[in-house]
Parts: sequence; structure tokens; C-alpha cells
Amino acid sequence: MADRADYERKDEEEEEDEIGEHDYKAQKDALIFAIHVSDSMLEAPPESDDKKADKDPAVYAALKCAYLVMQQRIISNPKDMMGIILFGTEQTKYRDEQNLSYPHCYVYTDLDIPASEDVKALKSLVEEGEGAGEVLVPSGERFNMSNMLFLANHMFTTRAANFGSKRLFIITDDDNPHADEKQIQDNTAIRAKDLYDLGAIIELFPVTRGDSKFDFSKFYDDIIYRDAVVDETYAGRVTSSKSGNGLTLLNSLVSNVNSRQTAKRSYFSNMPFELGPGLTISVKGYNIIQKQAPARSCYVWLDGEKAQIAVGETARLAQDSARTVEANEVKKAYKFGGEYVFFSEEEQKSIKQFGGPIIRIIGFKDRPLLKFWASIKKSIYIFPSEVGYVGSTRVFTALWQKLLKSKKVGIAWHIARTNGNPQLVAIIPSREEVDEKSGAKSLPAGLWLYPLPYADDIREGPEKPTLVRTTDQLTDKMNMIVRQLQLPGAAYNPAKYPNPALQWHYKILQALALEEEVPDKPEDGTIPKYRAIHKRCGGYIQDWSRVADDVLGQLQEQKAIKRELEDNDTEEQPRTAKKSRTVVSRASPGGSGLSNAELKEKIQDDTLKKLTVADLKGIMTERGIDVKGLKKADLVERLEQWIDDNA
Amino acid sequence: MADKEATIYIVDLGSSMSDCHNGRLESDLDWSMRYIWDRISNTVAASRKTWNVGVIGVRTEDTSNPLQDQEDGYDNISVLQELGPMNLEAMRALQSRIKPNDCDAGDIVSAIVLAIEMIRRFTKKLKYHRKIVLVTDGMAPIDGSDDFDEIAAKMKDSEIQLVVLGVDFDDAEFGFKEEDKPSTKRENERLLKLLVDQCDGLYGTMAEAISNLEIPRIKPVRPYKTYDGPLTLGDPNEHKDAMSISVERYFKTHKATIPPASRVVSKVGEGDPSKPSEGANDEEMQGVESTSFAGITQARTYKVNDPDAPGGKRDVEFESLAKGYEYGRTAVHISESEYNITKLETTKSFSIVGFIHQEKYNPFLNMGEAGMTVAQRFNDAAALKLSSLIHSLHELESYAIARIVIKDGKEPALVLLAPHIDVDFECLYDVPLPFAEDVRNYAFPPLDKIITVSGNTITKDHRNLPSKELSEAMDDYVDAMDISSWEKDDDGDRTMEYAAVEDVFTPPLHRVNQVVRHRAIYPDQPVPPTPAVLLKYANPPEDLVIKVKSELEDLIDKANVKKVPAKAKGRRDKGDKPKPISGLDIDALLSQPENKRTKINPDNSIPEFKQMVEYAEDESVFEDAAKQMGGIIKSLITKSFGDSGYDRAIENLGEFRRAMTENEVSGIYNSFIRDLKRRLLSGELGGDRRELWWQIKGARLGLIDNNPVTGVESSTVTPEEAAEFYKK
Repeated sequence: MADRADYERKDEEEEEDEIGEHDYKAQKDALIFAIHVSDSMLEAPPESDDKKADKDPAVYAALKCAYLVMQQRIISNPKDMMGIILFGTEQTKYRDEQNLSYPHCYVYTDLDIPASEDVKALKSLVEEGEGAGEVLVPSGERFNMSNMLFLANHMFTTRAANFGSKRLFIITDDDNPHADEKQIQDNTAIRAKDLYDLGAIIELFPVTRGDSKFDFSKFYDDIIYRDAVVDETYAGRVTSSKSGNGLTLLNSLVSNVNSRQTAKRSYFSNMPFELGPGLTISVKGYNIIQKQAPARSCYVWLDGEKAQIAVGETARLAQDSARTVEANEVKKAYKFGGEYVFFSEEEQKSIKQFGGPIIRIIGFKDRPLLKFWASIKKSIYIFPSEVGYVGSTRVFTALWQKLLKSKKVGIAWHIARTNGNPQLVAIIPSREEVDEKSGAKSLPAGLWLYPLPYADDIREGPEKPTLVRTTDQLTDKMNMIVRQLQLPGAAYNPAKYPNPALQWHYKILQALALEEEVPDKPEDGTIPKYRAIHKRCGGYIQDWSRVADDVLGQLQEQKAIKRELEDNDTEEQPRTAKKSRTVVSRASPGGSGLSNAELKEKIQDDTLKKLTVADLKGIMTERGIDVKGLKKADLVERLEQWIDDNA
Repeated sequence: MADKEATIYIVDLGSSMSDCHNGRLESDLDWSMRYIWDRISNTVAASRKTWNVGVIGVRTEDTSNPLQDQEDGYDNISVLQELGPMNLEAMRALQSRIKPNDCDAGDIVSAIVLAIEMIRRFTKKLKYHRKIVLVTDGMAPIDGSDDFDEIAAKMKDSEIQLVVLGVDFDDAEFGFKEEDKPSTKRENERLLKLLVDQCDGLYGTMAEAISNLEIPRIKPVRPYKTYDGPLTLGDPNEHKDAMSISVERYFKTHKATIPPASRVVSKVGEGDPSKPSEGANDEEMQGVESTSFAGITQARTYKVNDPDAPGGKRDVEFESLAKGYEYGRTAVHISESEYNITKLETTKSFSIVGFIHQEKYNPFLNMGEAGMTVAQRFNDAAALKLSSLIHSLHELESYAIARIVIKDGKEPALVLLAPHIDVDFECLYDVPLPFAEDVRNYAFPPLDKIITVSGNTITKDHRNLPSKELSEAMDDYVDAMDISSWEKDDDGDRTMEYAAVEDVFTPPLHRVNQVVRHRAIYPDQPVPPTPAVLLKYANPPEDLVIKVKSELEDLIDKANVKKVPAKAKGRRDKGDKPKPISGLDIDALLSQPENKRTKINPDNSIPEFKQMVEYAEDESVFEDAAKQMGGIIKSLITKSFGDSGYDRAIENLGEFRRAMTENEVSGIYNSFIRDLKRRLLSGELGGDRRELWWQIKGARLGLIDNNPVTGVESSTVTPEEAAEFYKK
């Protein structure tokens, strides 16, 4: 039960953080893949001896892409829905019947949160071609695009009525499916308008071969809306997917789909951004960085026909009488000295009132003043919006360019939402980063609100440890190693490091859900490449170790001399006269302060037992050695053992 | 840090303390007590059993202290609170006893002797922080015959710190001097200063102590070690030449928690629990009602879908449930014995993955709190080796990337290690890095160019791109607004960083502490205003704003930004309707008789309703659309099995309300929603539909009021009525 209480507490803390904007719509995404089944889409790519060459016909690449997206979404968006329509098929299927309203549309996966059966079915289709002979057969007659759009409309309306985001991804290689069919073109345009009015967005993922071009203007520009007023962050058309340049059609498609896969949900919108008193523009904020963790465990009811998740409901009970408490009786009070201090609702509100949502610049600083360790939580990406203030975009861009040019950051007071806590943030500009291989953008250009810690958030470090500074020679040896082990591009690319714990969790779950064999060895890309390190640097590390040992030896000698001198000093002079700053060990309460090397000497001289029990305990607790209930002889023995092992 | 404490406050309660001085409206006693209550309430708030507080009153009419019968000179001294832990109740009791007396006799130095005695008896020879705080106006004669040397020696011997805070005492350092000081007071100040100096105590004027009250105090927290063990490069178990340095890692930053409010409920029998805290109850609710609140615990029940049960759901016993996870919408159950199967097996380790260039890292990728890594204590070898790594990273302007598992079985994390070198201290700081899954792939258009629908690129002369003049104005403004060295140093020169991390306090944290303490001390007073120090960084420094006035005016001029009127947001001009990219005249298409919407298809209700309203040529079509929509909503509810149709009903309702608000027609919707509420609550629409009403309430889809921005001005409903409508 304890873990559950923890979760609830966590919920309350995170409440402020996680809730995005909300109206009556659910912050969820419904995504339908519509894949064109036609002769050309089923055509196998030309034979090639190249191992990396394409083997998949376009339909298979599209289905594999959908399969990957489905698996990803189970992990990253467990509440979101997905569906797959195959259109232009010989067969017609919608919700277990030959639904004649939507001829030549085959709903392979109905719109819903994917279930293990959905994943399984899709997997066997793409991996073993199971059922392909039935499903992936193009229709002899021409199909009607408007029917497909109306079908998608119906799926959204019935399954995802109040979803804040509804999207239809069309994958096709035919840029003019209804040439010379004016009536169908008109009907399609009307159905597309219906989808637009329903709040659904159509994204087209064209597939091309060789040098052929996909001409949007022939047909698709009539059904795709770009509404600059509603979506200023629209990133433009998706480039067409094709194989070539070392990329398979599948890679190309996956990369294109991934760039649009996550529904863009803003964290806040129409946020006033005050550059100075009297100059305000409006921006939108996005959570581009978001910690992804395994979904929490749940309780499963097994006594029915089918395993079912039991949904928990919380009732509140008064601690004194254990009676059930209604929501309107609940008040909030602060604990103070073991008792409650109460404020009325209005007072409660006024206490934490630091003003409405705002990003207000209070000045600019040179970038290097931003200390490396001044990090407390993830940053928010902001992008200009013309909704609140016309002209926001140009001012935002001017600021962005200036910050980049002069290597400066803004410092701003930021409140993310009404009654939210204020946060001081640094405003850091980013340049667009493009993945060299796939050409996909990995980080957008814009500004980031980087939360700064408060004085209260800084922790004291341990008592200042002994400083033994390196020598130039030793640093040079280390430099050799550091130079040898640079990561590709001398940069950190998050895409290269999937979270091993998260991936393993879902891999096992997937195996259990699909009743497959449970894999036994996890893939963990975060484990350092030990063999490569050994091969490239083993020798250098040995060099470095040798030099370090030499330096240590000299240090030991110097210390011994110094100690002797000091011993002589103390005989001649009063104790308080002088304390050298360079003395490494320093007496502290408990009589410890001996270094490992000094202890080693004592072991050799067999003088360890001359120390008092209090001294011994002090020395040992400092080193994290357990001393509970030990007699002196045991203490000495344990310390000797530890020194042997550790120093 | 959490050492034991014994603090005695000696308060001068003589008649002169009830006067007001130096333009203050409070009596000297009330004023001084602001300081003492603040200190005591701090102790109460900490609720530490090992922090002991005692209070002695001097110049009291009564005499009650353990020394009164043994020696002379202890008259008119009362122990108001024995040394002991402090709680709210004790503080309340104490408050009633702190009041000025009609008395002038009583020796404050004797009170100090008494306090020393009390502390010595209480703390014996044990380890304590011992402290005596004396607050007086110095108006009563001090018996100069006491042997200050002896008293000071005693205090030193017992390690007691003496703090003397005098009302209007002269303090050159703070810059306060009282003119026309009575000679007794002058002499007393001299004597007390002498005593304080003899025992190395603290001596100050009350005004300084009071002015310091507003400066937030940072709660010290013991260093927290997150890892100790080797930092490796290569695998020492596999290859003998691998690097291994014994290190310890601590928190460098950690979010300080803002005191949370707990959920409580009035205890039964005290006040009417069914009534919310309004009206008559409010008065007695104010403040600390220690007895009238009870905490709240939570009890959970579990339900599963069952088509045969009323409402489609039924309760199940918690004991009958197994643990598991959701995979999509499939419940995957995992037996108790295999519960760890989804957990990655890991062993405690801290190992370098590779190195990167400092300039190639963007700090906004940081996932959160920073750590610091130092060499193991008393380990010269480790210190030397770590130092070489730190200096190497520094010389090569590099960071290290390392994988850390803080304990066996914990999930691995990647951190970025940066070198830090100071005169007498070196360490590696680290910040957590994002994994692939933590970075969302959002595509945005470029900022410095515009790509048109036809695929052309525009790089200048566009309303969304800054003109040369705007860029120059921005350039000047940003440079002028620089606060890199705006803070004044001790000499009054601007050399220090403004808003340095160390100078900025968490506003809500200290605000909550302030008001809770204030309410505990003064239950009848209203909430005090937010201290200025907490709002210092809410705005740019005033003197800087004055300095940059001309640059800012120039920027405002070149920016030429126009605020969009509230009403216009989200609405578009008639001519600016959404169109497909091709520019196809969809309106014309939809206006053709064969495409015109007249009868709304319930399966396509939202688009068709929208279009019918949009192209309505007269009122009757508009009303017809509304009527059809109302019918569709009611039918969706009636046909809903359990809550299955609620989402759709709400979505339609939302669209209905939006369309009506946008077209400035409130009456149709308001009468519909009134009727709907009645039907829902009376069960007319296919059973118990109260749940749906709660959802409608939650979605704020009630009456359209006459708020000019969010509602319809012509509405006959006031915002108050609209709010009332939501209440059942």
C-alpha cells in the first residue's frame, strides 16, 4: 500500500507541472493511418545485390512504419488511439461487417488504444505476410477517396469524439487518384472540409520512386488545409519518401512520419512575453523535453472471462471518525507545530498570488554567467504566436538573432499558469539542428525557458575534501585519453541512447502480452564500449597510472618530511603559533583526519591500536565503515581489512 | 546540524516597554515581540523535540523563579516558560503572559544569571547549542555590583552565547543613534556592551533585528550522498588497465519543497460539516483552531466493467486483484513471483561513456537537478587522479558523459560531467541527460525565413521577419539592459552579477512560511502583504528601466506590435475563411443546392451543424440548426449505455455552445441547457445521468453569461447566475 500512497503524493506535486491547457476536450490524440493499396504500391523494388537495398514494396514499408509507430505509442502515449485503414482494396470491411457505405476501404485496425491482438495481427502481417493474400489485394474498380475520408470521419466521431487532436495520415504514391472525375473531386473536397470542421488534420506522406515528382496541386491541395491563423507552428509539407541515398523507403518513411508523429500539444498558449515595460508579444510553449517513464503498475481482475483492469476510486475519510467526507467539506490547512493553521478560501488564494501568467524579462546576461550546475528542471520551448499581439513573430526573431549573435541569455520572471508558482528562467536561444543522416530536424530553432534554481535549492556539499592537485605531466597523460574517446561529432545525441530500463520494461510486457518468448538479454546502449576503450586507450591509461603512482610517491615523501619538521616545530614553539595551510590532514573533532596512506603506515608499524576507540570510530564512520557494536580489537581488524581493500 | 538546542529568551516587561517611541505606532514590547515570536514560531514550525525554549520575564509584578529564595536580587523576575520543547499550545499559553507590567523594579543582569543557571541544569554536560537572548529597553537601573567577569566566565565555561537586543540602542554599524537618551539608558547600554564583549556575544539594536526578519532564512540541509564507489573508465573486472577512481557524489541542487497544504475536514459536532466555510462559520474558522480539524485519509475501492450490473460497473474485492501493467489497452498480469521480470537488472556503477566538446552541448537539454562528485575522503590517490581528469576536461574544453546506477537494481541514467576548479576546491558537476524517448520530435517552421505554400523561400521584407531597423533597435536594447554586473558591491559600485542564483529566494516557499507563522502568532490579523524581497525579481530593476528608456522607446517604435482585441481572438473576418491550400472555393461548392446541409446527419453532426450555421441565410435556418443539434444531443444521451455516449454528447454540446457564443445568440442555448440539466437530474433521459451533469459542469458548458469577453453581451444571464447554475 505504501507505494500507492507515494504515487498519490507525487500526483499532487506534479499536478501543476503536467496539466497542459485544457478546455472541455481531452488532451489526447487519435491517429489514423490510411494506406493506399494499389498495384504500384505493391510493386516490389528492383532486384539488387546490395544488402542495404530496399526489399519492401511501398505498402509493406507503410505497414511496417505503422507497426513501429504503434509500438512506440504504447510506450510514449499510452492513452492515445490509433487505427489503420487500407484503401483501394478489393475487400471491404468496417466493424466486422461488409459495410457498404465505405466500399473498397478495409479497416485493418479500428480506432482505439491498441490492444495486444492489434499489435499481434499487424506484426504477423508485416513479418510473415499472414493474410496478405486476402487483405492486400487492390480493387479492380476505382475506389472513391471521399468514402475513405467519410470513414475516417466516422471513426473519429464515434471513437474519439472529444479528443483534442485527431489526425489522418495518408500514405500513397498516386498524386492524382481522380483525374477527370469532377464529381468525385468535389465530393472529396466536401468530405475534407467536414474533417476540417470536425477538427481533424490531414497529413499526406507521398511516396515516390526514382526521379518522379509528387504533384500536390493535381489533387491533394484541394483537401489539405493550412490554417495560418490557427496553427502558426505548421512546419510545412512533408517531403516525399523514397529509397536512395543509403536510405530505404522504410527509413525514409519512418523518419518523415516520426517528425509528425507526436501531436503537437502546447503547454501554454497566448502567453504574454514582456521584453520591457510597454513591449509585450505573445508566445506558445511546448514540452519538447519530457521524462518518459514506464506506466505505473495497475490491478488486474482475473475472475472474469477476460483479464480486466480494475479502476480505482478514492473515497476520503476523516481521520477522527472514519466517516466518508464529501468533496465540498474538504478544506486546506497548513501543518504548523503538529497542528493545523487554517486560511479561508480567499486567503488561501491570495497567499500564493504572484500575478497572472507571464514571461517578463528583467535583464540580459552574458552566456558564461549561466553556471553549469544551475540546473533544476527541464526547459520549455517557446515559439512566437500572432494571436495575442500582431508583430510577435518579427520581434521574437529579432531577439533570437541578437541572443545568438552576442552570446547572451535573457533572465525572466515566469509564471506558467494562473496561480502557478513563479520561476526565474534563463532564456536561451537554439539553432536548428538537423540530423545529418536522415535530414530530419532534431531540434527546432527558437528560445528555451531554462529554469534557474533558487538559493533554497542549492545544497551544501560535503566538508571540503583533501585537495591533491594534479601535475602538468599527469594532466597531459589524461589529455591523451580524453582525446581518444570522443563521441561521434564530439556531441551528445540523445537519439543514440534509448532508455534501457524503459525499453526493457515494454519489451517484456510486449512478449507477455503477445504470448511470445521472453527475451533474456536486454539491449543497453548506455553501457560504455569497454572493449573499444581498452583497445584504444588501455596503453594510455597504464601510462597515466604509472605517472600518478610516481606523483603519489613524491607526495608521500614530502609529507613525511613536512611532518617531521612540524614535529620539531611543536617542540620549540607554542602550539598555536602557526598552522601551515598546506598540511593535508587536519585535526577535527573525533581525532581523525588521517589519510589512507597514513593509516597504512600505522598498520605496518602496528600502531593502529594505539588510537582511542573514539578516534577509530571517527576514522571509520568517515569512510562509511559500519562500527555498530564493535569492540576495539574488532574495530582495528575491520579498519585494517578496509585499508587493504581500498587503499 | 540537527543538534540539540537550548535557548532562553529574557523579555523586559517593565512599564516603560508599553510606550511607543521614535515614531512607531506599536509599543516597544509589541515591536520587540515581533522578533521573539518570529524566532519562537520558527522553533514551533520545525517541531523538533530537541529544540528547547525557555522564557523569562523581567520587571514583572510577580516573582517566580527557582533562585528567589536562595539569594537576594531575584525579585520581579518570573520564569514564564521552563526550558522545553515548544509547540503551538505552549506558544499560545505564553502569549497571554507576555504583557507589560506596572512595575519598574527587576534586574536584567540577575535574569541573565538565572538563565545561565537554568540552562546549566537542563543541559548538564551534554552537547547543546546554548543561547540567551535578552530583549530590553534598558530603562531600569542595572545593579553594577554584579561581577561581570564571573558571569562572562560562567557563560564561556558552559558555551552559552549571549545576544542582547536593545530597543533603540545606539549601533554605529547599523547606523542608529538615539538623541536625548536618558542617562540611565546610556549607562545601561555601556554596561551591557561591556558584558557582551567579555563573553564574545552579540550586541545589536532591535531595529536591525526586525529589519532582518523579512530576509528569508534558508533551511540548511545535510549534504546528501547519492553515490559512493568507483568512477571508472573501461571495465576493471574485464581489463586490468581500466581506470578506477574512488569518488563520492552529492546533490548540488535539489528542489526545496514548498510547504503543502493538507486536506482537512471540520471535526464532527463542531460547526456544521454540511456547510461550506462561509458566512457565520468563517469568523471562528479564522486562525488556529487546533481542535476543530481532522486530517483526511483515503480509502480506495476497485471497479470493473460488468454489462449485467447497474451502470455497467461493479465493485471487486481488492484481495481478488492481481498486479500487472497495461500494454496498450490490454491488461498484462504478472504473478507475484515474477514481479521483477520487467525490471532491468543493474549493478551499482559510475562509468564514463565518452567525451564531448563543451560548446556542442545545449544546457536546455538538462533533465533536472545537478550533482557534484568529489574524491573519496582521505584518499590522496583518488584525489590526485580525479584532479587530473578535472584539469584535463578543463584544458580540452570538454565534458564527460557517464552512465550511473546509484544502487544495485536502480535504472541507469546518463549524466554530463563538467570540471570545476577553485582555489582550494575541485569537483565534477553533473546534470542528467535526456534519453531518446525524452526528446519529442516536434517540427516547427524556421524563424529566419518564410517558406510559402508554393515552396518559395523569403528571407526579407516580410511582416514576420525583423527589418534591419528592428534588429538594430533590438541590438541596442539588449545591450543596454545588461545585468551581468548591475548589482552594487560593498563600495556601491556596479560590479556584481544581478539576480545571481545565491541571491534569489523561492517566493512561494517563504511566502507560505511567512503567512503560516504570522497566522499562528496573530490569529486575528489579516494575512500580511508579501515582503518586497520576494518580489524583487518580478520586474526589471527600476533604475535600469530608467537608464534604457530611450532604447526601449526606439524598440517599441520599430517593433510596431499591435494588441489583438480580446473579442477578436479566435474569430475571423468573413473574408478570411479557411481554405484548402489550392485556394479552392469550398464555400461556393457547399452553397450549391445539392451540397447544402439542411438535415444534420447525427453521424456527421459537428461539421454539418457548423456549416449549416455558417451558411445560414436567415434566422430560421439558424434556429433550425440549433433545434436539430439539441435533438441529436438528447438522443445521444438517451441511447448511451452507461457513460458510453457522454464524450460525444459533450463534444456536440461544446460545439453548440461555441457556435451560439460566436454568433452572439445566447437565448437558444441557455434555454436548451436549462432544460437539459432538469432532464438529466430527473432521470428523463434513459436513467441516472447525474454523472454526465458533473462532466458538463467540469467542462464549464453551462449558461452563456453577459461577460463581454467570454460570453455574449446581450445575454440576460449574469455571471453570478451562471455560477449559481453550476451549483446543484
